[in-house]
Amino acid sequence: MARKRLGVVTDGAFNAGLTVRLDPGVSTEEMRIGEFVVVEGEGNRYFSLISDMQLRATDAALLADPPREASPFIAQALRGTTTYATVQVKPMLMMPRGADTDFLVDLEPPQPVRTIPMHFAELHEATESDFGAVFGHEDRTHFAMGKPLTMDIPICINLARLVERSNGVFGQSGTGKSFLVRLLLCGVIESGLAVNLVFDMHDEYAFGKESEDGVFVKGLKHLFGSKLLVYSLDEKAQARGGRGVDVTLQIGLNQIEAEDVLLLAEELNLRATAEANVGLLTDAYGADWLSRFLAMSPTDISAFCEQYGAHEGSLSALQRNLKRIERRPYVVPEAPFSVIDEMVAALDKGQHVILHFGRYDHPLDHMLVANVVTRRVRHLYREKVERYEQTQSPADKPRPLMITIEEAHKFLNPAVSRQTIFGVIARELRKYHVTLTVVDQRPSGIDSEVLSQLGTRITGKLTDERDIEAVLTGVSGRSFLRGTLESLDTREQVLLMGHAVPMPIVVQTRKYDEVFYAALGAGEKRSAQLDIVELFGE
Amino acid sequence: MTDESMTNGTMTKSQRIGEIVETSTTGFVAVSKTLHQPPALGSLVKVQLGGEDYAYGVVAFGTTVSPDPGRRAVPRASDEVYDEAVYARQPQLTRVLHTEFSVVLVGCFEDGSIRQHLPPHPPRLHYDVHECTSDEVRRFSERLVYFRLLLDAQGQVPAEQLLAAHIRQVYRARGHDAAWLERAARQVTSLLRDDYDRMMTVLYGIEP
Repeated sequence: MARKRLGVVTDGAFNAGLTVRLDPGVSTEEMRIGEFVVVEGEGNRYFSLISDMQLRATDAALLADPPREASPFIAQALRGTTTYATVQVKPMLMMPRGADTDFLVDLEPPQPVRTIPMHFAELHEATESDFGAVFGHEDRTHFAMGKPLTMDIPICINLARLVERSNGVFGQSGTGKSFLVRLLLCGVIESGLAVNLVFDMHDEYAFGKESEDGVFVKGLKHLFGSKLLVYSLDEKAQARGGRGVDVTLQIGLNQIEAEDVLLLAEELNLRATAEANVGLLTDAYGADWLSRFLAMSPTDISAFCEQYGAHEGSLSALQRNLKRIERRPYVVPEAPFSVIDEMVAALDKGQHVILHFGRYDHPLDHMLVANVVTRRVRHLYREKVERYEQTQSPADKPRPLMITIEEAHKFLNPAVSRQTIFGVIARELRKYHVTLTVVDQRPSGIDSEVLSQLGTRITGKLTDERDIEAVLTGVSGRSFLRGTLESLDTREQVLLMGHAVPMPIVVQTRKYDEVFYAALGAGEKRSAQLDIVELFGE
Repeated sequence: MTDESMTNGTMTKSQRIGEIVETSTTGFVAVSKTLHQPPALGSLVKVQLGGEDYAYGVVAFGTTVSPDPGRRAVPRASDEVYDEAVYARQPQLTRVLHTEFSVVLVGCFEDGSIRQHLPPHPPRLHYDVHECTSDEVRRFSERLVYFRLLLDAQGQVPAEQLLAAHIRQVYRARGHDAAWLERAARQVTSLLRDDYDRMMTVLYGIEP
């Protein structure tokens, strides 16, 4: 395939990137910041990104006194000679240049750059085979997320690598985060590389929903049927026809631990003394502390204060505040852990779970339920991992679990991320085969320690300086990615970077439509037989 | 280039327009065969160097004077007799005046190919100067390296004016070849990139 030549390298530094003078006749308008290009060195081919563009003139007099009435002829003559453009190009990956062929399959995969090409190396447009060499081709573990801005070929992310680490999906509201998450979930579910537990806080994933364009899109339950279980807090959801809720989940007061309550300090308006009081209560009553505390009469409270030296006023204030938990309709005095244990058993069988909050979409509900459920799930996973380490039998190996949470800054902000189970999961990486996918529109609200642990980041447009800074925490080449991030389109363009892609790239996201459903269906038939075996044994 | 038209046989067909009266390595002065009709400023001419070798040059200046450097022309017209009638009334004038033109050397035809550098020897005195055919102009102007020689020429006409005149001539000889003109313009901007004023002089001068 003929590559279009764009210019030659005239200057550069390994740290700052290469300066390429564009050939006369090549316009900066043909290029995009963040575009994937190829620099042909003598021995290597460098896969690079355009990070900046500059307009230059050889003579300062021209800039001081531009030809005002210049005809197109003169402008054309000046263009590319006296006035010219340079682009900054950042090499990301390199591979040895083979014979002049498009068959890159046999060559070793691209490596991180460790050198730069010399003067007059040529800059070329990337061809389809370049994209293929870097991003791989669509298969079971490579899921097409979209296509590059300038070409109609799929850009794949490596799902096997995606599920290895915690990930982040960011973007301002209206940039299509929930569609991105749907895409990702579809990819992961389809590949069977991990099981998913999704906290569907805004009723977006489980069932069909009208998109911003006014089209009705299918929910994951419709796409995956029995592969996916929907647990709902909303007892009425199950009764509503056509929604297919599998289980109604209830939370027992016995399941709520001290840390769950303290996490809700802001929502419940708890005072600074709450932590000490809750500590006393758990010391006294153990696991039953909350139900027994809520059942206390004022006389009981003063007796308790006498015995344990607590402050009566603050304790009754705490009780008043905690009554709000009791009043949530899905909270019952006592609930068995077996529902959650069954959920984990389903995950074990390769089924995916969406926890649907229904009409309970107050932050209090999100945080309380997500914490209780996740803590139990992780506890069970931990046991499984320990068993696996003991037996080392492949049959005991837990399936990797990916937990998706929205509004992640509520769980992972610096004040609470050390207490919540999510903070723990994000930090301990995949030690227990559990990873997070955090979805958020204000990444700056997330603890930077958590952000730096994220493996793959998928981000739509962000404009706030702090959010951009936050998304790029722990990413190399930040300064030039920032420009790329700022220049994204509001809709349907995302920057992929991190563990699951060999180099950062901007893509036009795939449409979540009939074509996509059909593509999934095709995969489904292929793997149906496998699933039957996986679910029910040989 | 061993083209038939470049051989001596064809050469003689192109029109003889003058005779060299002063010569040097960088250029020569010739007297035009016809009074008042020197070749156009910027047009391409050639002189045989011996064998099949030719020197190419660009007409850089033209003047009509008395052959005797000590004599200046005096006014001869009156209210009734002026312009062409002056010559009709006084036919001896065509004997005591001649038209000279100077040429800047820009290349040669040597060992069968066109070179865009100064010829190794100056053209010989009293040799004929020939006009180049459109075909030859086209072939010679395929490469534009010789623009440098033109820009370095030290003559009465400023070099950028000479270059502009030459480009106009070639553009016409090539049948208004817009692609060539664009290429020439780029070459000009590249050569004069450090001198914006001179560059713009040429560009405005060649704008079609």
